[in-house]
Amino acid sequence: MRYRLDLTLRHSEGALTRVLGTAERRGFRPVSVEGDTHADGDRWHLQMTVEGDRPGESLLQQLAKLYDCLDVQVQPCT
Amino acid sequence: MNGARWLVQALRAEGVDTLFGYPGGAIMPFYDALHGSSLKHVLVRHEQGAAFAANGYARASGRVGVCVATSGPGASNLITGIADAMLDSVPMVCITGQVGTPLMGTDAFQELDVFGMTMPIVKHNFLPRSVDDLPRVVSEAFRLARSGRPGPVLIDLPKDVQVADASHLPAHAPALVDPVPQPSEPALHAALAQLALAQKPLIYGGGGIALGDAVETFREFVEAAQIPAVLTLKGLGALQDDHPLNLGMLGMHGSRAANLAVQACDLLFAVGARFDDRATGKLAEFAPHARVVHLDIDACELGKLRFADAPVAGDIATGMRRMQAAAAAHLHGRHGPARLAWRDACTAVKAKTGPRYDAPGDGVYAPSLLRRLSALAPEAVVACDVGQHQMWVAQHWAFDHPRKHLTSGALGAMGFGLPAAIGAQLENPSAQVICVSGDGSFLMNVQELATLARYRLPVKIVLLDNQALGMVRQWQELFFERRYSEIDLSDNPDFCALAQAFGIEALHVDRAADVDTALETLLAAPGPALLHVAIDQNANVWPLVPPNRNNAEMLDEGGDADEATRLIAADDPDIAALQAAAAQPVARREAAAPASQASSAATAQTAPAAAAQAAAADTGDAEPASALAPSPCSPS
Repeated sequence: MRYRLDLTLRHSEGALTRVLGTAERRGFRPVSVEGDTHADGDRWHLQMTVEGDRPGESLLQQLAKLYDCLDVQVQPCT
Repeated sequence: MNGARWLVQALRAEGVDTLFGYPGGAIMPFYDALHGSSLKHVLVRHEQGAAFAANGYARASGRVGVCVATSGPGASNLITGIADAMLDSVPMVCITGQVGTPLMGTDAFQELDVFGMTMPIVKHNFLPRSVDDLPRVVSEAFRLARSGRPGPVLIDLPKDVQVADASHLPAHAPALVDPVPQPSEPALHAALAQLALAQKPLIYGGGGIALGDAVETFREFVEAAQIPAVLTLKGLGALQDDHPLNLGMLGMHGSRAANLAVQACDLLFAVGARFDDRATGKLAEFAPHARVVHLDIDACELGKLRFADAPVAGDIATGMRRMQAAAAAHLHGRHGPARLAWRDACTAVKAKTGPRYDAPGDGVYAPSLLRRLSALAPEAVVACDVGQHQMWVAQHWAFDHPRKHLTSGALGAMGFGLPAAIGAQLENPSAQVICVSGDGSFLMNVQELATLARYRLPVKIVLLDNQALGMVRQWQELFFERRYSEIDLSDNPDFCALAQAFGIEALHVDRAADVDTALETLLAAPGPALLHVAIDQNANVWPLVPPNRNNAEMLDEGGDADEATRLIAADDPDIAALQAAAAQPVARREAAAPASQASSAATAQTAPAAAAQAAAADTGDAEPASALAPSPCSPS
């Protein structure tokens, strides 16, 4: 099952590594990653596609717990 | 005032009085700032000892434990202790020196990417590259460590930040703790609806009860609702050992009463527990007849491994307090008589299946010794190492509070016991602190005997020596056809002489008849002391649920790998009845498959929960909106 993630992150050291690492360790393989710094320079906007056998909701909750994660949305890919 | 001195003042402002560490190059400015400060620094003899000591300090008190190390090897030596804190939800702030920012990324002397290395084993970590970052970083570190589900936070502190001018920084204001998340009304109603339907309810209590300061509330709930309870390794003590409704520990080395009750119940109320594999056995066959109500502060745990018919995310104490009256009222509902009959059946099985302490022979029987020591030191804080002795402590010590049981539960880190005991003793100098260790574990951090001696901490060590890596040996005996591989420790040192070389009193016992005297002598020692206990290498931990078996398939003494599916003997009708209930064909709709429902705090009315409420309404057991006790946040 593939999921699309839309994330807003603090623009802090380690934020990207933390998100990618959490996704992989929790059983989701990154398929694509795209991101950009927000105009104010304080935030990352990141779009990821991942695939895995576990429910996307479980990854959402794990990402939402990250200090650097300000917002996360998960949608199944159609 | 430089960054290091500002940090020392900030630690004081956060309420830190003791920290555990070991100096080195990149952390020298911090140690310079410590010199003459009012902070008590405990010099350990290996950084892993510092992490475990801070860990033990935090476990025993609920306060944040602080440890310090230098860059490179100092920091990497902390890692096992930090990981242990992460897996067991222990609040810690770990400070590591780092090479100066201009040298970072150049493979400088003692440079390691500690920030990257620790990322998966901390709640969060910070790498402040400017002294101006310190106020925010320190506040956030302590806030995160304490808030919600606690855990470790690491600050990797470059040397140039430590020496930078900090005179312009404001005095540190202690970090606030996040408000405790409250369970939602719909989620609590759904949970009560499930409870109302139950004829054979069972509570499964875990480490979250103590972490949520919910021990008293938990006891009041159990008493009021008259629901029997099983406890996890970290939940032990949440209900007093001798409480009639306490069926004991569940899982791989759980009690017969606990494991049979789990397999037979029709509702499992998980409270601050996470369906760990050592507790569940074969997950797909765990509590096969039960609907599940799951209350936890961490929404990630809800539905992670077992579908919850009624997930409740939020503060455990609040949840139990608000459900208590309604749960108690169920006793007078249509299922009341069945509930009481179930309760009585569980307690009858507990009474008939308890451990025996009448082992034959003249040698020391470890469970018997531990039970005796528990009686002699009922107020003790016990720090365990990892292995057979750890399970014997869990099975035979009469804990009356979880914070008196310091054990490396999720990580299972050998070497935890002695430094954790040191941390607990420093946190509470007047407490009776006992370290129960094994000969394998003890040598993993034996250097901390020097710390014990230096600070004259009156920790009592009981070293159960079977001259083997006992738990590995037991598994090789039972599941690897007795091919004993690298478990022989018959060349152990003379442990008494070893302790005495550190200036620590030591005594030895190897006969059951001498145990009482030895224990009394140990406890009467004014300072640190070690009791070396020679035990039989062939002694195993029983009962045991073999790997990939359900929890009703316990092996007992005399069992071996050739008859691994043998159920425990059941001549008694009460036990047989519970076994029969556990063994009934499963006739429920949701398999024990991972499912996600962690958004329950906001959208708790899952389809099964709604169906249960509808069913309860049909039977007249539905919970009216007023069934919940008032929330302190609700308008009155």
